[in-house]
Amino acid sequence: MSAGVEPAGVAITERDTIGKIPPGKIAVWWFLASEIMVFGTLMGAYILFSFAHGDFAADGAHVKWRLGAFNTLVLVTSSLTMIMALASARARNLSRTRLFLLATVLLGITFLCVKGYEYTTEIDEGFTPSTSIFWSFYFGMTGLHGLHVIGGIVINSILLVAALSRKPWDILERRIECAGLYWHFVDVVWIFLFPLLYLT
Amino acid sequence: MNEAGGHLESARDDRTLYVIVWAILVLLLVVGLTIFVLPIPREAAVTLIFGVAAIKAALVLRNYMHLKREHLLIYAIVLIPTLFLLGFAITLIPDIVFRHAM
Repeated sequence: MSAGVEPAGVAITERDTIGKIPPGKIAVWWFLASEIMVFGTLMGAYILFSFAHGDFAADGAHVKWRLGAFNTLVLVTSSLTMIMALASARARNLSRTRLFLLATVLLGITFLCVKGYEYTTEIDEGFTPSTSIFWSFYFGMTGLHGLHVIGGIVINSILLVAALSRKPWDILERRIECAGLYWHFVDVVWIFLFPLLYLT
Repeated sequence: MNEAGGHLESARDDRTLYVIVWAILVLLLVVGLTIFVLPIPREAAVTLIFGVAAIKAALVLRNYMHLKREHLLIYAIVLIPTLFLLGFAITLIPDIVFRHAM
């Protein structure tokens, strides 16, 4: 090979390194970047409003922090089952992949049921989105997060059906990885929402 | 060890790591709740609780979302909106301070 050809070879190698990232994975990260803006803006607005309109601690004392803590445990555990589903798919273990996907779906449903119970008791006690700015933020942010959990449950259920119908491993593995990124992001959002709304 | 054997060994190591990370996340949840119920000055408690939350988020991002193994492009995709967000928040702080806090 002549010296003049070498730079082109180097360029191709660098491009290939980026090209090794599956396009679907890059797309999911782009989507998550937009989600960072959405949830980050809401959390930033909440913090700035709490400075501007006095303390939210009086309103915050009425939220059910024990249920919030339980839901944090549920969501963190669902992150474990999701990553274990990916690890099982990589190990080509179909039964464990199905089991962990099913566990993730069930834990997501558990999270929603607990959240639904919380909403019911809070509304019964007279706290609605129109009660105060705190409750507007509370229902807005947890509601939007809950919609993301529903989205995750739908995606994981589709993957579970795909695992039951024995899709090719490489396709299944890639899809579980992308769905997992989304599910872990939903977990990260809750990791910040929980102390913001329940503990401070 | 052949390639398939090495792959299986690596997958087993990963699974062990995932369970350890989950145990640390649960432990940190307990730490956060302990700080919340203890009679600590509020400002210190809030700082500690969000410090614990940041560690939990970093653990999930690094180990479950595999950011520690990702390409620089992925880091750029995540960091750019995060920096924009911090910029927007910082630019609003003077407004809050001068209008409401003074």
